[in-house]
Amino acid sequence: MGMRGATGGADDPAPADRASVGTGPARGADVEAARRELEEALGPEGVLADRLGLLLYSRDASMVEGGCALVAFPRSVEDVQACVRIAARHGLPIVPRGSGTGLAGGATPIGDALVVSTARMDRILEVRPEDRLAWVEPGVINLDLQLALAPAGFTYAPDPSSQQTCSIGGNVNTNAGGPHCLAYGVTSNHVLAVDVVLPDGRLERFGSEGPEWPGLDLRGIVVGSEGTLGVVARVCVRLTPLPEDVRTMLFDFETVEDCAQTVSDIIASGVIPAAVEMMDHGIVVAAENFAHAGYPTDAAAILIVEVDGSPAAVEAQARAVEEAARGNRARSVRVAADEAERALIWKGRKTAFGAVAQIAPHYHLHDCVVPRTKLVEVLAGVYEIARRHGLVVTNVFHAGDGNLHPLLSFDRRVPGTLERVLRASEEIVRLCVEAGGVLSGEHGIGLEKREFMPLVFSAEDLAAQDCLRAAFDPDRRMNPEKVLPAGARCGDFAMARGRDVAEAVARMPEGAWI
Amino acid sequence: MALPTLHPHTKGDVAAMLREASARGTRILIAGGHRHLDKGNPCGVDAELWTTQLDRLVAYEPADMVVVVEAGMRVGELARILAERGQEWPVDQPADATVGGVIAAGASSPRRLRVGAVRDTLLEAELVTGDGRLVRGGGRTVKNVTGYDLPRLVTGSLGTLGAIVQVALKLRPLPRARRTLVARGDGLELGRRLLDAVRRPSAVLATPGAAEVLLEGWPAEVEELTRAARRVTADLVVVDDADFPTIRPWEERPVVVEAAVTPSRAFEVARAAGRSWGALLGVGIVWVGLPSPDGPLAALRERVAELGGIAPVVRGPGGLGGPEPPAMDVQRRLKAAFDPRGILAPGRGWGGL
Repeated sequence: MGMRGATGGADDPAPADRASVGTGPARGADVEAARRELEEALGPEGVLADRLGLLLYSRDASMVEGGCALVAFPRSVEDVQACVRIAARHGLPIVPRGSGTGLAGGATPIGDALVVSTARMDRILEVRPEDRLAWVEPGVINLDLQLALAPAGFTYAPDPSSQQTCSIGGNVNTNAGGPHCLAYGVTSNHVLAVDVVLPDGRLERFGSEGPEWPGLDLRGIVVGSEGTLGVVARVCVRLTPLPEDVRTMLFDFETVEDCAQTVSDIIASGVIPAAVEMMDHGIVVAAENFAHAGYPTDAAAILIVEVDGSPAAVEAQARAVEEAARGNRARSVRVAADEAERALIWKGRKTAFGAVAQIAPHYHLHDCVVPRTKLVEVLAGVYEIARRHGLVVTNVFHAGDGNLHPLLSFDRRVPGTLERVLRASEEIVRLCVEAGGVLSGEHGIGLEKREFMPLVFSAEDLAAQDCLRAAFDPDRRMNPEKVLPAGARCGDFAMARGRDVAEAVARMPEGAWI
Repeated sequence: MALPTLHPHTKGDVAAMLREASARGTRILIAGGHRHLDKGNPCGVDAELWTTQLDRLVAYEPADMVVVVEAGMRVGELARILAERGQEWPVDQPADATVGGVIAAGASSPRRLRVGAVRDTLLEAELVTGDGRLVRGGGRTVKNVTGYDLPRLVTGSLGTLGAIVQVALKLRPLPRARRTLVARGDGLELGRRLLDAVRRPSAVLATPGAAEVLLEGWPAEVEELTRAARRVTADLVVVDDADFPTIRPWEERPVVVEAAVTPSRAFEVARAAGRSWGALLGVGIVWVGLPSPDGPLAALRERVAELGGIAPVVRGPGGLGGPEPPAMDVQRRLKAAFDPRGILAPGRGWGGL
């Protein structure tokens, strides 16, 4: 979940009012010496040390306020290595940062950290259609990469809703998804290799340009690791041929249940659409007011379904999708007649989070994933939780993957509201986990959700994850305090070895996860 | 010489056996269907732990397109269960291979242009570590960024980190139609042209005397792609619903190498491969059959290395080959965390992990 001012800051409370995390200086950090060396390595324009500048980098799109000592803007892999080595020498933790669009606080710095922004590493280094790959710097904006590849007939498939702003490096660190990952898969399926600057400043390449090599998949571990294992300094992405044909359809329903059942029925019919996005009444009204996409504002829920492929495949899939929708009492079917209409339908969806500013100045957004078959049940529970706490909840989400984004709108200037929001949020998370779900589909755990991790994993599971992290970063200097809850330590994993195995096995709830 | 074998029936059995093996320093090879054990560097072990009794279906909800099975389930048995609901786990491995074995070996489908690699199908994994702890990572949803990706770490780990005991797998609908097109002639040249002309094939395989294209999808889509292929060559044999590929010249030799290079380099590997080979075009895998692991293997590996690739043996002796792996210190720490006594297939992994 992430919390932010929906209007982009104007109505935000004063920083002191925000949730904040340990901003004290790191022990033994020599910030001044680090600043001098960084300026020497990157030039004065490559380092930010003034108070206002640092404040800007003290948070991401979550609402957790942190603090940092310095911000560096490397322009090359060598610059990144210099940053990491200087930080190591002077005892500063390192927080890699892409565009700061994550909603979980993964890029919110803590303590006297050095924020390493990849924003100026924004070159597409090499495009090789014959090998179906491209090498890019981490600061390349997702949409810019898609636009650059399109003339050659290719795309980079993962397309988060923030794709106009978010960077490939950030996408890699959060294993980002997007509407089209239903058919095409998440970031990890599209990243062939990464060049990573490890915490000691070494550059290593994980993965390969071709098919997987034998050996441990360190590439796969780095993807989704939220900047805790190293700084991703170059990315080799897979190119996907653009589909010859695409059809975007919009269905509207009188009940949320009919809409959700349609999603299951589409999948059951053997079709995997390129995208299946669901929006409920509240969000449809807000989005329509903002984007004027022609959404039916009297619908209880709408479903945007896109199918693509060869003309024959599109025809066959569209027929099956329409059948599923009509079988669930869809009131109408709108098929985008041309590219302009398709863009308009998508505009309403992709700008929905901005449109909710009309409802209230702040929102709290969740990112849970539940099994697709539990959608109806979980949605009913989410509405009930919001009702009980007197909150407005709207839902716009990746229905095909079961990736929910319940969005609580509120005005935190009203006393007591924030507390109700946080209580409702925790209940929503618990509801999703009880339905067999996970905490995050595409934003990661960051700071905001790490204390929920024990809902999903045993102490031993978490200790194993901490070992994995420590294998890369034994001194724990990369993006500290993220992902794993306080107290999950690799040492516990080692100490647990004497424990009775039967006891450990008995704690695993058989079959409770589906 | 047959090694002693262990036959656990439950995850708890596996945990107890590995805990005891760690305590005694008994070196263990985790084995499923014995189909992928040649992959990996030679390693000396004292016993084999067979996962084949751990073969239960734990949960299957077709509408979620996710199945949860114990690792010893045979691939053929799983395929039968899934086909009843019109779905598949797309790996195309031998029916008597086990799910856990396929994952541990990182053995992917020849249809990977369309269905992806096996590592992209593993959503959740439960692992018993070398010292007998049960650890779970991932989750039973198709999208998940909740902690580190343990499932990807165990995919291809060749049993060096633990025994995979249970997995959740992402499934696909079975294609409505499946067709193989065979064109006789210069396989590489025909294959190159077919790959260009046919959009979204499931596979294009070049062999010395032919090119084969696998088409999957909706019946009308397969017809459409067939017409595209006929524009390349009118001389096509059409075989519906056949195993792909129809010929496997590399399998006639005792030693089989699975070379991996960038897709455009597959042609050069094939040209250096002698007469028993098959190149998966657009992917960059070249299977090469060799009479022995001696001279020809070294020459092939040298050529593949020049082309920036690697050439592990997947059948017969010869090991993985290849250069020093990246970040061996990180890899050794991972190994030590999951198998602190070093009893699991010591040395089998890349770089002797």
